[in-house]
Amino acid sequence: MPNFIVQERDQRFLLFEVLNVQSLFSHPKFSELSEDVASMVLDEAQKLATEVVYPTLSTGDKEGCRLENGQVYVPKAFHACYRAYCEAAWNSIDISKEAGGQGFPRILGTAVREWFSHNFAFLSYPDLTQGASHLIDGFGSEEQKNKYLPGMVSGKWAGTMCLTEPQAGSDVGALTTKAIRQPDGTFRIKGTKVFITGGDHDLTENIIHPVLARIEGDPAGTKGISLFLVPKFLVNKDGTLGNRNDFEIGKIEEKLGIHGSSTCLINFGDNGECYAELLGNEREGMKIMFLMMNGARLSVGMQGVASASAAYLHALQYAKERLQGTSIERFKDPTAPRVPIIEHPDVRRMLLWMKSHAEAIRALLYFTSFCLDKWETAASEEEGESWRGLVEILTPVCKAFASEAGFQVADMAVQVYGGAGYTQDYPAEQLLRDSRIAPIYEGTNGIQALDLVGRKLAMKSGAYFRGLLEHMGQSLGEFEETPATAEIAKAVRKALGRIEEAAFIFMQASAEGRLVVPLSYAHPFLRMFGTVVCAWLLTWEAAVAAKKLEEAKSAGKALEVGEDKEAAFYQGKLLSARYFATNVLPQVEALFQGIQSQDLSMVEMHEESFA
Amino acid sequence: MKLLVAVKRVPDPEAKIRVKPDGNSIVTEQLKFVINPFDEIAVEEALRIKEKLGGEVVVLSIGPSEAAEQVRTALAMGADRGVLVKTDGAYADPGIIARALAEVAKQEGFDVLLMGKQAVDTDYGQTCGMLAQILGVPCASFAYKVEVEGESKRLVVVREVDGGLETKLIGMPCIVTADLRLNEPRYASLPGIMKAKKKEIRQISLEELGVEVTPKLRVESLEEPPKRQGGRKVGSVEELVRALHDEAKVI
Ligand SMILES: Cc1cc2nc3c(=O)[nH]c(=O)nc-3n(C[C@H](O)[C@H](O)[C@H](O)COP(=O)(O)OP(=O)(O)OC[C@H]3O[C@@H](n4cnc5c(N)ncnc54)[C@H](O)[C@@H]3O)c2cc1C
Repeated sequence: MPNFIVQERDQRFLLFEVLNVQSLFSHPKFSELSEDVASMVLDEAQKLATEVVYPTLSTGDKEGCRLENGQVYVPKAFHACYRAYCEAAWNSIDISKEAGGQGFPRILGTAVREWFSHNFAFLSYPDLTQGASHLIDGFGSEEQKNKYLPGMVSGKWAGTMCLTEPQAGSDVGALTTKAIRQPDGTFRIKGTKVFITGGDHDLTENIIHPVLARIEGDPAGTKGISLFLVPKFLVNKDGTLGNRNDFEIGKIEEKLGIHGSSTCLINFGDNGECYAELLGNEREGMKIMFLMMNGARLSVGMQGVASASAAYLHALQYAKERLQGTSIERFKDPTAPRVPIIEHPDVRRMLLWMKSHAEAIRALLYFTSFCLDKWETAASEEEGESWRGLVEILTPVCKAFASEAGFQVADMAVQVYGGAGYTQDYPAEQLLRDSRIAPIYEGTNGIQALDLVGRKLAMKSGAYFRGLLEHMGQSLGEFEETPATAEIAKAVRKALGRIEEAAFIFMQASAEGRLVVPLSYAHPFLRMFGTVVCAWLLTWEAAVAAKKLEEAKSAGKALEVGEDKEAAFYQGKLLSARYFATNVLPQVEALFQGIQSQDLSMVEMHEESFA
Repeated sequence: MKLLVAVKRVPDPEAKIRVKPDGNSIVTEQLKFVINPFDEIAVEEALRIKEKLGGEVVVLSIGPSEAAEQVRTALAMGADRGVLVKTDGAYADPGIIARALAEVAKQEGFDVLLMGKQAVDTDYGQTCGMLAQILGVPCASFAYKVEVEGESKRLVVVREVDGGLETKLIGMPCIVTADLRLNEPRYASLPGIMKAKKKEIRQISLEELGVEVTPKLRVESLEEPPKRQGGRKVGSVEELVRALHDEAKVI
């Protein structure tokens, strides 16, 4: 099947030539892996993604979900997709072996996920199950693990994540769902959750809901929140399914996109009988959630990458086929032959903008996943800390920057298609609609920016932040030495300086009691930050590409771009990086000027003036 | 049941094929290769027979060293072990392939030897008949359905023929070639891929097998298909008919 999903050569380049993920395979945990095996894993993921998952992208969107007699039904085509996905164990790729999963490194889990994330409506079901399994694996009692994990890891059962309530969205601490203690140590849950992805569906025989609630008498705010497991069907001692638990699906949302993913309102315990088990310690619900949120935020960032990649590849194909206008040389000649629109400079501008952004956010997500593995496999605590620092800082950037770029690239794909892009005859409009959710859920991008500025910069007295700047600064030194990347590396270093200056402005303003400055400029700061990190990663890639071209040249290879696919690829990497550095990176300067001004017009504005 | 399956390494049908300047071979550098899709169907059928009746599935391939990748893929689907006969540098025509397969089949012994009805790269469809002749066993080609008849060491093979179905009964050992609708091959699973890594692939050369390597067939030249001309919109049915008649001369 043709591949309109992942830029596969770029994926392999990033994994095996830039990040060098092979370095992980010498760790005892991953000793069964090799580049060959990893490569075969990617081949098989591609096969399933192109042949089975991709064809349901459009059918799933058109059919959508329906709620009938309290039961939610997903698009029919998702059933075969789900079975194939779980039978091949893609759903448990990075779940630990102890929990029955495949125990692959995160970076390979991330790379595999890119193949499936283009159809996030479908992927949402196994992906949320995976998140819930991580929670139980990490914090469940032995009894809970034995009871729930086998079903969830095999895909026979599903999982969700129930945080949001009508009055408690970004502010999770405002939740009012109650947990009532029972004499036998279990709890009964009462309350309403909204917007619950996969809150109900007919893909599995049971669904295990991790639910955030407040035990009666516990304090208000986030400190009083505990986490509970609420199964759809109670599970008997022998593993068989018992009674239907006391909760109802009130409605499913009609949405802009991801129509195949059910978004449910759940009323828990209308009859006071909703069975729940505590997961982890009382009042530690938020702490536990935070620990697993890193993974969930990376997976939303991945949706951005997958949207960008798929939108780019579709637009590229269209641009090569659509005939319109004449070449620039013969524009005055009405008899000149029509040319494919990829020959027009303005269309090329859009394509290169898309290509460089898709590749930049792919590098951002993969690099961060790789740091997670490095953290988990570090030889010493000190080394682990340095990798952890990168993960902590980059996670909100991955979520927010990649989700925004994913939508923007999809938007530009619609533009490349012209009128056809606005119709349902082509997939561009669906990619645009589907990708719009990523900046919203799993903590809005506004909240991600606050996390970066309010929490992450100051973590370990700023050591993590400085660690990342040093890490980038050091490698930039190397790229400045390479003739092919010297110019862009210098531009990135200058922009990196602006990040430091902006952080300093925030620090000073806070010290002077003007917290409102960092709060007002958190999002521009995150955009600056994301842009610089992406430019740095593209420079790194360009340096590798330049080296490969050098090597090929000294080995006497022809390197004709038209003839040699590899040469064409590496040239593309060099130009992607140059374009990003010359056309996107300068935005950092503009954003910085806003921050530097510390102008507070948005705060000074009277509500009445927002007329 | 001892099941042998022959799989061929072929260029990905999605890949763009380019002819080398020498005019009689294709550029294989940077080209993606897969298992011949019909052979993949044969692997699936062998696995299903084994799942029902027990036994062993051995995958055979005749090709360059890199064909180990395709053998490995079949092992990831669930086959037990592999044999690769390396032809590095030699041009292997269907005769050579059939003789090599025959040698390995004799060494291994088998009840059923399955393969695709043809390879999608050369489309010869010759190997199966030649192999049956060399081994002196019956052959059922273009299988649409395969069933083992009770305990009897006979196979019921249904084939699609013009306008209907034909059912054949053949005694084992025998050769069966798979048609498109025989089954839908499974996808390799992650645990399958990990297990495949540890499975044996025996590698031998044509010379070691004692197979004569002088091909009987020579490729004279290869040409790329002519570039497709852009279409054009016609205003009316009359104009269309006229264009088909006068210009395209197809009616
Ligand atoms: C399709 C879909 C699926 C979802 N799936 C799930 C799920 O599976 N589980 C789950 O628990 N939830 C889920 N959600 C809920 C989602 O996480 C919330 O919608 C999101 O966190 C925002 O909350 P809200 O909608 O209440 O918006 P609000 O919190 O009301 O925010 C509205 C706006 O105000 C801003 N804002 C709010 N507070 C602040 C602040 N303190 N500082 C600055 N800006 C602020 C926000 O950034 C946003 O722009 C889903 C939502 C959707 C639409």
